[in-house]
Amino acid sequence: MKATAINNNYPHVSHRDASLGYRRREHALMLLLMSPAVLVVFVLLLIPLGWLIGQSFYADGFSLEHYQRIFTEGIYWNTFWVTFRISFIVTLLALLMGYPIAYAASILPRRWSMLVLALVILPFWTSVLVRAYAWLILLQRSGVVNESLLGVGLIDAPLALVHNELGTIIATVHILLPFMVLPLYATMQKIPSDLIQAGASLGGTPLHVFMRVFFPLSLSGVLAGMTLVFVLCLGFYITPELVGGGRTVMASMLVSRNIQLYSDWGAASAVSVVLLICVLAIFYVVSRLVPLEKILGAK
Amino acid sequence: MNKLSLSRISFIGYVALVLIFLILPLLIVVPMSFSDSRFLSFPPSSFSFRWYETFFNNPGWMSAAKTSLIVAFSTALIATPIGVAAAYAINNSSHWLMRYLKIVLLLPLIVPIIIVATGVFFIYALSGMLYTIPGLIMADVMLALPYVITAVTAGLHGFDQTQEMVARSLGMNRFRAFMSVTLPQIMPSVMTGAIFAFIQALDETMVALFISGGQNQPLTVRMFTALRDEIDPTIAAISTLLTAASFALVLLLVLARRQPTA
Amino acid sequence: MMKDTNCLKYLFGSSVMVIGALGAGQTLADGEITFVSQGGAYQEAQTVAILDPVAEALGITIIQESAPDAWPMIRTQGTTGQAVWDVVDTPPLNCVRGGNQGLIEELDFSQIPNAESMPEEYKTPYSVAYEFYSSVLAYNPEAFDGNPPQSWKDFWNVEEYPGNRSLRNHPLGTLEAALMADGVAREDLYPLDVDRAFAKLEEIKPHITTWWTSGGQSAQLLYDGEVDMLMMWNGRVSAIINEGADADFTYNDGVLQNTHLCIIEGAPNQDTAVEFINAAIAPEYQANLPLHIDYGPGNPAAFDTGKIPDERARELPSFPENAERQVLMSYEWWASSAGEQAERRWLEFMQR
Repeated sequence: MKATAINNNYPHVSHRDASLGYRRREHALMLLLMSPAVLVVFVLLLIPLGWLIGQSFYADGFSLEHYQRIFTEGIYWNTFWVTFRISFIVTLLALLMGYPIAYAASILPRRWSMLVLALVILPFWTSVLVRAYAWLILLQRSGVVNESLLGVGLIDAPLALVHNELGTIIATVHILLPFMVLPLYATMQKIPSDLIQAGASLGGTPLHVFMRVFFPLSLSGVLAGMTLVFVLCLGFYITPELVGGGRTVMASMLVSRNIQLYSDWGAASAVSVVLLICVLAIFYVVSRLVPLEKILGAK
Repeated sequence: MNKLSLSRISFIGYVALVLIFLILPLLIVVPMSFSDSRFLSFPPSSFSFRWYETFFNNPGWMSAAKTSLIVAFSTALIATPIGVAAAYAINNSSHWLMRYLKIVLLLPLIVPIIIVATGVFFIYALSGMLYTIPGLIMADVMLALPYVITAVTAGLHGFDQTQEMVARSLGMNRFRAFMSVTLPQIMPSVMTGAIFAFIQALDETMVALFISGGQNQPLTVRMFTALRDEIDPTIAAISTLLTAASFALVLLLVLARRQPTA
Repeated sequence: MMKDTNCLKYLFGSSVMVIGALGAGQTLADGEITFVSQGGAYQEAQTVAILDPVAEALGITIIQESAPDAWPMIRTQGTTGQAVWDVVDTPPLNCVRGGNQGLIEELDFSQIPNAESMPEEYKTPYSVAYEFYSSVLAYNPEAFDGNPPQSWKDFWNVEEYPGNRSLRNHPLGTLEAALMADGVAREDLYPLDVDRAFAKLEEIKPHITTWWTSGGQSAQLLYDGEVDMLMMWNGRVSAIINEGADADFTYNDGVLQNTHLCIIEGAPNQDTAVEFINAAIAPEYQANLPLHIDYGPGNPAAFDTGKIPDERARELPSFPENAERQVLMSYEWWASSAGEQAERRWLEFMQR
């Protein structure tokens, strides 16, 4: 097809040369079309990243002191520990809550599954601020949750559900749940239902079929979802800032503080680089098992 | 199939609970916005449009809303053509460089947003683009590109490239062939990408926190400051409006896609 | 196919029109400044008392912003050289150290005649006093059955005064409270024994329900009954009392503080900013402030205007009887390197 078109337009050129020239022009055109997008990302992301990395090694000349500080000074170490711990808990909770939802969506008839998915995606379209605000209202001492628990008699005094790490975890799980459900659903959808039926017809109990057939097949979705949620949670700033009561200090807040309060670019960049390396490492490891597009396709 | 076993009931119950967990916060904000009291309380004691009035009468909020709209529209207008061009190039090129460029274009999604924000802040501080609207727009364009490209690439995958080839072999130049053959058929995905870009820019908070200020603050930044400092119920009104706007857009998208193409 | 292309053109066209219409709405203001304070009831009171009258008198537009702690933005705007704020109403601590770091403009007092009559302690090379307020022990009287906490020692006494507590998520004033709770006399507070203060804070930390960051938040906490006692700014307590909340406070063991007006280095509207400062500290406008909120005027000449009734004057933080039960915050100490270090230590303390 291509050759015919070329020969029609450029009959005077030999077949081989035309092909080469065409390919070269084609490549040039394609690269040109890519260039505005690449330029934007290059200038606004790659260059600053490079500078940040450089800055992390700089303190009157090459120095590792910023990194040393991260591993020796309590506050940095603690912050990373808190960040990873919260991310881990959030990921687990998201998995526990998201898996049944995705499962339900994948086995329900179309109308119902669309409804479930719509309910999952709807919060997605609201700003994270709105959701953090809503959780503040819900979880405060005189908030809906406490009032109803008190009313039912389950507790005697209001629980401290917000302005602390617990509130941060609850709000974060809520915000990141769609990122767990969507990759899971995408994977589950592809599991052929005849496999399940085959398992059942071979005499397996539903639980057995689930554990031995369905779950292993859904693992790539599980991995994709967990990766996405974990990585997103690592970089969270707004939710812990609003709902954490000032006590839940995560890595992103450390970066922001160092820049805005102390203009300590060295410290900020070192924290950023460590965070980035963790994220890249996670993505690299997971991408060996699950293709990258699958994970990010959900976004 | 319709066994009402305990496990089945508890499964359905569990799913229902999680779905409630997902939707509840959104539902809460709406009645809050109609409450009359100055301090947060739910259920609201009396009904009033007070907070909506406050929002529309306050020059600070209105200026922020204007900024948000300008930025969101501009982001969609700029990111869509750039993204479509990039998606087209990715789809049609076999160049070895493409693989790496694809990853570069996905970077805004991979890199933690705090680092993105820090980086953009640094570049803008150097170049004097801090607290400007064009600066905000370009940052949002960068963040929107992966969405546009992903949406358009999906659309291109479902499109039969040979149609464009045929048009070209019939004498059209490439650009015209694209505009009159390919583009109309991938229009749904292009619109999806454009709307994603719009909503993304409307809701973006983190980067804007770092690089916007003064009179060029978008709604989200103002809301963040207000939430952190004031817990002003006006925010409930704004949240309701923002959410309604996003829903309306998505609904528009769904309806548009349902329309039979001419 | 045709329909979709037309659709696209229509969308494009209308978006351009929308943007054009929105953009065209910009009018070039004739004389304007961006004024930053701490928001909430305080800023609303200022608007009525000082900002609106000044705007009218000078014929300028005042764009308002708020930030509970202006220091990060002052730093950012000053160091990057891209200022969007003009005048900042903030504790003199920020004005002085900002000035020392080249982030705040030096004031040309020849252009600020209203400041001449003000005492020297109320001025710094970079700023001039604007208003007085106190950080006080506020509480919900309903929670205490006639025996409310009246000092920081009481606040730290969790057995005799049980209840939910809150403190500000900032060392300014909080360290002083901790030291007073530990028995340090008001006269002996400065220079602050930082180690002792943090040790005392560790004691109360498990009992703190929330660490508030903004005036509005502190008011919300007391109004909602989220906490039974806390350290907060006196004007905010009075504001919620007026809204019908169960709240009260004592000037006992309070920390008397003030805020100053200063101009960010490289501010976009410097001349108008200086004009504004001069007008804002004029006695007749300053006298308006106590009429709308429980804060004292920065310019003592305001008391001579006769606008402030005697009973009102008694309620103000800077009124002599009230002032002697409080400690006057030392901004020199906070601006010194010991103060800087104490601030840095705060985040570590919060995290543990």
